[in-house]
Amino acid sequence: MGSPCHFALFDLQPSFRLDLEQLAVRYRELARNVHPDRFADASEREQRLALEHSASLNEAYRTLKHAPSRARYLLALRGDELPLEVTVQDPDFLMQQMHWREELEDLQDSADLAGVAVFKRRLKVAQDELNESFAVCWDAPQRRTEAERLMRRMQFLDKLSHEVRQLEERLDD
Amino acid sequence: MALLQIAEPGQSPQPHQRRLAVGIDLGTTNSLVAAVRSGLSETLADADGQVILPSAVRYHADRVEVGETARVAASGDPLNTVLSVKRLMGRGVEDVKQLGEQLPYRFVDGESHMPFIDTVQGPKSPVEVSADILKTLRQRAEASLGGELVGAVITVPAYFDEAQRQATKDAARLAGLSVLRLLNEPTAAAVAYGLDQQAEGVVAIYDLGGGTFDISILRLTGGVFEVLATGGDSALGGDDFDHAIAGWMIEQAGLSADLDPGAQRSLLQAACMAKEALTVNTSVDLSHGAWHGLLSREQFDALIEPMVQRSLKSCRRAVRDAGVGLEEIEAVVMVGGSTRVPRVRQAVAELFGREPLTDIDPDQVVAIGAAIQADTLAGNKRGEGEELLLLDVIPLSLGLETMGGLMEKVIPRNTTIPVARAQDFTTYKDGQTAMMIHVLQGERELISDCRSLARFELRGIPPMVAGAAKIRVTFQVDADGLLSVAARELASGVEASIQVKPSYGLTDGEIARMLRDSFQNAGDDKAARVLREQQVDAQRLLEAVEAALLADGERLLEAGERLAIEAQMQQLRELMEGSDGLAIEQQTKRLTQVTDAFAARRLDATVKAALAGRSLNEIEE
Repeated sequence: MGSPCHFALFDLQPSFRLDLEQLAVRYRELARNVHPDRFADASEREQRLALEHSASLNEAYRTLKHAPSRARYLLALRGDELPLEVTVQDPDFLMQQMHWREELEDLQDSADLAGVAVFKRRLKVAQDELNESFAVCWDAPQRRTEAERLMRRMQFLDKLSHEVRQLEERLDD
Repeated sequence: MALLQIAEPGQSPQPHQRRLAVGIDLGTTNSLVAAVRSGLSETLADADGQVILPSAVRYHADRVEVGETARVAASGDPLNTVLSVKRLMGRGVEDVKQLGEQLPYRFVDGESHMPFIDTVQGPKSPVEVSADILKTLRQRAEASLGGELVGAVITVPAYFDEAQRQATKDAARLAGLSVLRLLNEPTAAAVAYGLDQQAEGVVAIYDLGGGTFDISILRLTGGVFEVLATGGDSALGGDDFDHAIAGWMIEQAGLSADLDPGAQRSLLQAACMAKEALTVNTSVDLSHGAWHGLLSREQFDALIEPMVQRSLKSCRRAVRDAGVGLEEIEAVVMVGGSTRVPRVRQAVAELFGREPLTDIDPDQVVAIGAAIQADTLAGNKRGEGEELLLLDVIPLSLGLETMGGLMEKVIPRNTTIPVARAQDFTTYKDGQTAMMIHVLQGERELISDCRSLARFELRGIPPMVAGAAKIRVTFQVDADGLLSVAARELASGVEASIQVKPSYGLTDGEIARMLRDSFQNAGDDKAARVLREQQVDAQRLLEAVEAALLADGERLLEAGERLAIEAQMQQLRELMEGSDGLAIEQQTKRLTQVTDAFAARRLDATVKAALAGRSLNEIEE
């Protein structure tokens, strides 16, 4: 079985703008139909098929509901070569990255939980803005290269938000 | 017999006997069994009206005693009485040493790495001890429901790793129970509350039992329970509160900490009673030997505060993992006897900013939820829209050892299951023809901090320069949370795979011996049992195919295909009248084969129909 396009699995057109609420509803509806629990009584083959369907559905949902992975998937669908790690030619953003990181280190040194909360809110705003820019860019075919650059930025902010969570965990100790 | 059975839409082709299935909460301190009767899920009592079965097993030379009498006898016969065996499930000898500063058993080595407890009946593995508890519950259920069980849903802490889950399944097998599903305890609790109260939104399940702590964050939407995150501590529970009190008593009474097993037991029992008394009273009198003392609730609260804080820390982490804010959590469900401790309730209320739910007995809520799920899985369908679906997650990350003794995560924790994921690796030496695949579980970077689940080797890689071979390793986790791993070199197609058999599971030899023993002890006739199992399997398949034909036969099968299936069904029905188990088994396989293509078509049709946002019935019209 080849793997069908994640969007097609949900009967959606490939697009960055996605009604997440609707996606969740669809996901639950589909999951309900293919989850192995529905086949507890069925033949072995049916159980195996259900397992496979369910696993690919979960994978598709995970990819689409998360903005950075959705952006990356869209670019990959279009056939762009997208190695995970590249040298990013984006000097403005590199500067900004450095600032973010320095701030995070300071927060760690001062064990400032309230400061982390503020940092998180700012990060969230930046992520929302970036998502919006990507969406605009994605709708305009002539701005392709830009789309990839924005996706890289999204990935970075995503990584940063993971680091913030790890920091929260360390400060919680 | 008529080949075609006619039934009204929505009805079973034959008046369907209700299939008996139970939910079992196999707990550290207490175990329970529950079933759905006349639409209501309730716990089942023994002949004396007791619902709770203490998870205590005492071995006599000629018999096994399970429950309250065994628990009471524990201080008199500590070596032959096993308490809190759940803490030993799926653990190696080394783990147990780390855990159990206060375990009064004599351990002996077995064939596997599992610790065996030396009793008057010979060495007993934790799996056998658990099986004895399960057997007692099975008998109780069969007596109470008046028939043989189709199967059981057994609950496990969400934090249980592969080894502990597998050990639980082994125990069920030994007890003659067919496991419909291993269900995470917090999820079971949510099932109990969700259906009774039609909850929607994000909820937290705080489950502090005798030996384990679990926190789960779930989203409930229209009968779908989506686990967003789980966390916890598999070595934190009410037993630790007892140990804290016992430690305090030892200190106050100036006793040596090196007590004999009997004294340890009676000290722990006194501590446990004191803990329970402190739920309602503000202080309690304690005595041990010549020593008398008074323990106030404030002192008790202070003793357990570090443990309470540990649990809250797990809560905060799970909430972060779930990607929700504390304020978004609309309900907190309390599970487990230890949540009766006032300080625990208070601390949880403070963290979440709301009073936790305690309407359903915290000792029974898990079994009640498990029974609801068991009833659904056994094929006793609920009405449209009431059907339950649990979307569970894996509690710990799964990964592989890579260069430098590092763990590379393949599936991160809290990923929804079932899941399949592949990762590509390459060779690091010229001409390398084999590769060791080391499967790990855990959150830490260094493999020495993770749990080793399995190792296997992929051989026969064609010699190439380093980095040229492409080896794809696929992890697949099923709905029970059990893992299988396969490796494949893409150019040559050589493959190797493993169903992860945790290192602390039982060896096949041990399982065979135990099954033999259990048959002998039960006076069971093995052949008859095997035949019965084959008949049950055959019947299940027949019912499934009948239902499938009724629903989709017309639409998805050519006339010839349908005739072929029906001929095989008829043959199976005839064989089932007889006693040739082998023939039944073979015919069951044959029927499975002829229905394979039909099964695949049905699943595809279901998916398409769901996509179109309509049910199958609507399409037919």
